[in-house]
Amino acid sequence: MSAELSKPGQHLVATGLSAGYDGRAIVSGIDIEALPGTVASIVGPNGSGKSTLLKSLVGVVKVLEGQVKIGDNVVTNTAPEEIAKLGIGYVPQIDDVFPPLSVRENLEIGGYLLPRRDVEASIEAVLESFPRLKSMLTRKAGKLSGGERKMLAMGRVLMLSPSVLVLDEPTANLAPLVATQLLEEYIRGFADAGSTVLLVEQRAKAALRISNWTYVLGGGRIVLSGAPKDLEENPLFVESFLGGAAPTK
Amino acid sequence: MSSFGFGLITAAVLAIATVGFTMQFAVTNVLNLAYGSVMINSAYVTYYLNIHHVTIWLALIGGVITGAVTSWCLNRFIFTPFQRRNLAPITVVIVALGVDLIGTFGLQAVVGSSYVAFHQTAGHEYHFAGMILNGLQLIILGLCAVVLGLIHWLLKYTRLGKAMRATSANPNLARNSGVKTQFIISTTWLISGALCGLAGTVFAMNTGVFEATSAQLYIVLLLAAMFLGGPGEPYGAMFGALIIGLSTEISAAYINPQYKEVIAFLVLLGMLAFRPYGIFGSEKTL
Repeated sequence: MSAELSKPGQHLVATGLSAGYDGRAIVSGIDIEALPGTVASIVGPNGSGKSTLLKSLVGVVKVLEGQVKIGDNVVTNTAPEEIAKLGIGYVPQIDDVFPPLSVRENLEIGGYLLPRRDVEASIEAVLESFPRLKSMLTRKAGKLSGGERKMLAMGRVLMLSPSVLVLDEPTANLAPLVATQLLEEYIRGFADAGSTVLLVEQRAKAALRISNWTYVLGGGRIVLSGAPKDLEENPLFVESFLGGAAPTK
Repeated sequence: MSSFGFGLITAAVLAIATVGFTMQFAVTNVLNLAYGSVMINSAYVTYYLNIHHVTIWLALIGGVITGAVTSWCLNRFIFTPFQRRNLAPITVVIVALGVDLIGTFGLQAVVGSSYVAFHQTAGHEYHFAGMILNGLQLIILGLCAVVLGLIHWLLKYTRLGKAMRATSANPNLARNSGVKTQFIISTTWLISGALCGLAGTVFAMNTGVFEATSAQLYIVLLLAAMFLGGPGEPYGAMFGALIIGLSTEISAAYINPQYKEVIAFLVLLGMLAFRPYGIFGSEKTL
């Protein structure tokens, strides 16, 4: 991970958060935080509200109750474009690139808030971290493979050197090897460079491997949270997410 | 070959109109069936300036501004409020149809149903490659080339154009990237409205005489050209306009010219049946 692509992280906190669509809460009573230089992950079964939670943090879904704070800024129900200005990079699970735009144009839109003179340098920095994208700058994003597309999605948010990276299932539909590389090399690397990462991940084992703290979401609420080491010893978590029995001491 | 020449002029006018029409659809998902009425209202503004001793080319700027402002107002005060209520897309189409009828017959109530004409001269006739084109038609072709070139430059090379394409492709992601999509949408309506005003005026120049309902059937040509190229695809619109413009004018050499919109409608039906997302579009466009 190029050092130019990350900024010192900001503390992301959500307290008493309820959020959903048309006034109906999908997640409620959520208290989570992600600290600078760490990866906080959220795992949970399908339909537990993981994506809705992330969307509410970045202004895409309406917060019905509670507060979202990034650094010293209260950003509850702030418009997504204003949240982007605060240095928050969000990669959605699906529709994570602009298919009709070329790879270069996707990166340029990623750097939309940069002064024009800085865009080219930022593209160079992204290409240094994702060298595979170099040879496909003129290709339309819609023509990329799943792995290439995800790298472009990551590259797009890194254009602004975000201090907080919010990622919704970045490894969905990726080959295991590519998924491992993305998680362990890029996402962990981003946190190691000092930034804050909040990650929703289906692969619980892989999430635990790179996380400093993990939340378990079930039925729209946090049902469990802890350091990966503690969760790996929790029988309920092991049975539900790691497919086996907890190690005996 | 003379039909080919007429076809080129028809295609040029249609291309300017369709690019604006498809840009509105691409960025706001509004199928603005009131486009034809804005075109003819803009042509009338040009006409009134023109008959008050403003040269046609200066008066044309009045038509362009009328198209831009009217379209911006339509989006701001009519389409956006309906869209915010999360109604089915067909509701907005019906609203647009209503606006079209009000715009067209409201204009007719004011200006009457007599045909009018700009103070213009067609200029010298030029013969080449079997075609006969007059000076005015050559200017319309040149205007079309310049406008389409500018639209290509805007969409491909400017920050605004890329933001317009990004907003069209994925508005939520554009917002997450820091793009103020509401501003982009308003700007798109201004630009596409300017194209609408320009198209209305050159349409009226090309037909020679016009009245308040002259552009009523033009929406068929617009829809055919847009669906042929691919809904929401400006480059597809240019291509669609060329094919529709040529096919309607060339067919007019063989059948009653009154039925040339039928040819456009047949092309539209064929396209919808076999490739509803058009030649340049993708399945996701619809």
